[in-house]
Amino acid sequence: MEDNDIIRLWQSYTKKLDDNLVLSRENAAAITKLKIHSFLSSMKPYKIFSILVGLAWVAWVDVLIISLFHIANPFFLVSAIMQVLLTKIAIGLYLYQLVLIHQTDVSEPVLNTQHKLARLKSSTIWVARILFLQLPVWTTFYWNKSMLANGNLLLYILQLVVTLFFTILAVWLFNNIRYENRNKKWFGLIFNGQEWNPVIKSIELLHQIADYRIEK
Amino acid sequence: MNSPDKTELFLSVINANKGIIYKVAQVYCQNAEDRKDLVQEITIQIWRSFDKYIDRYKYTTWIYRIALNTAISFYRKEKSREKITNPLTDDILHYAGTVAPGEGDENIGLLQQCINQLKELDKALLLLYLEEKSQKEIAEIMQLSETNVATKIGRIKKLLKQQLLNIKS
Repeated sequence: MEDNDIIRLWQSYTKKLDDNLVLSRENAAAITKLKIHSFLSSMKPYKIFSILVGLAWVAWVDVLIISLFHIANPFFLVSAIMQVLLTKIAIGLYLYQLVLIHQTDVSEPVLNTQHKLARLKSSTIWVARILFLQLPVWTTFYWNKSMLANGNLLLYILQLVVTLFFTILAVWLFNNIRYENRNKKWFGLIFNGQEWNPVIKSIELLHQIADYRIEK
Repeated sequence: MNSPDKTELFLSVINANKGIIYKVAQVYCQNAEDRKDLVQEITIQIWRSFDKYIDRYKYTTWIYRIALNTAISFYRKEKSREKITNPLTDDILHYAGTVAPGEGDENIGLLQQCINQLKELDKALLLLYLEEKSQKEIAEIMQLSETNVATKIGRIKKLLKQQLLNIKS
């Protein structure tokens, strides 16, 4: 089929539509009376709630760190500082997402809007990576000098194995949670479900957009 | 603009461009129920953006942008959003013909089958090409340079012809 044949075919389809497509004025007019939200507005409350809970948590841990700085054991301090830093990064990502939600306008050019939307969704995967990175500090914050001085060999080995396991797991997940691994079994186990499918599709779309922007 | 005038203008814009809305929905949704929802969502987004319309662009350019952006993002629909944005149960656009468009014509069916296999952005570009939009207008809708539009369309047409050949053989 040649270019002209394809265009003619589409024109005949358009003609059929023009002749037979009817607008229900009543149903279209009903839309003008609805209280309409942006199609991204449903995402806002969850993000705002997460930011508020995150800020409350960070404030509480920061107060603990500052007030106990001279008396707390170093394991607790280091663990708490690392945890709170990673939580602050996650809050920063949520704020970035809120800015993108605010900036997105469906009447802007397609590549521009789709790039913002895809970045918005795909950044969710970064939140997951950051949160997994916190895993080891939850196995170290309760260590203290007396535990180390009075513990037995079994306790040391058990503690070391657990911390080492979670450290390796956290670093491995941080490095491997990426689009290229989307078809791996472990990836499917972690990111399974309706809320993750659009995230993966968004990353796919980001690749398409990048390809589109290259003049070749 | 007061409310009745605004509603009247909105209805006339939708009526004049209903073909665009329907075709975009058909290109991006194969399932009839999803398509109905998408038509509704596009109409809602047009109404939502209505006050922001600037006459620097033609209504068609503006509607293509909203329709394509909504359609490409449609897969991100979540159940919670469905309740908010799909409150109407009746069709906004209704096909009055006895035979659905595309049915009864093998070639149109084949063409639609091939379009369905394309990636999201390729679908948008091919649709604009089939609608005989100028390269300048396609560039404005998509935010691409005119040279890039020409190159990409050439590539998609090649792909489309290959797919048509594969299906036919």
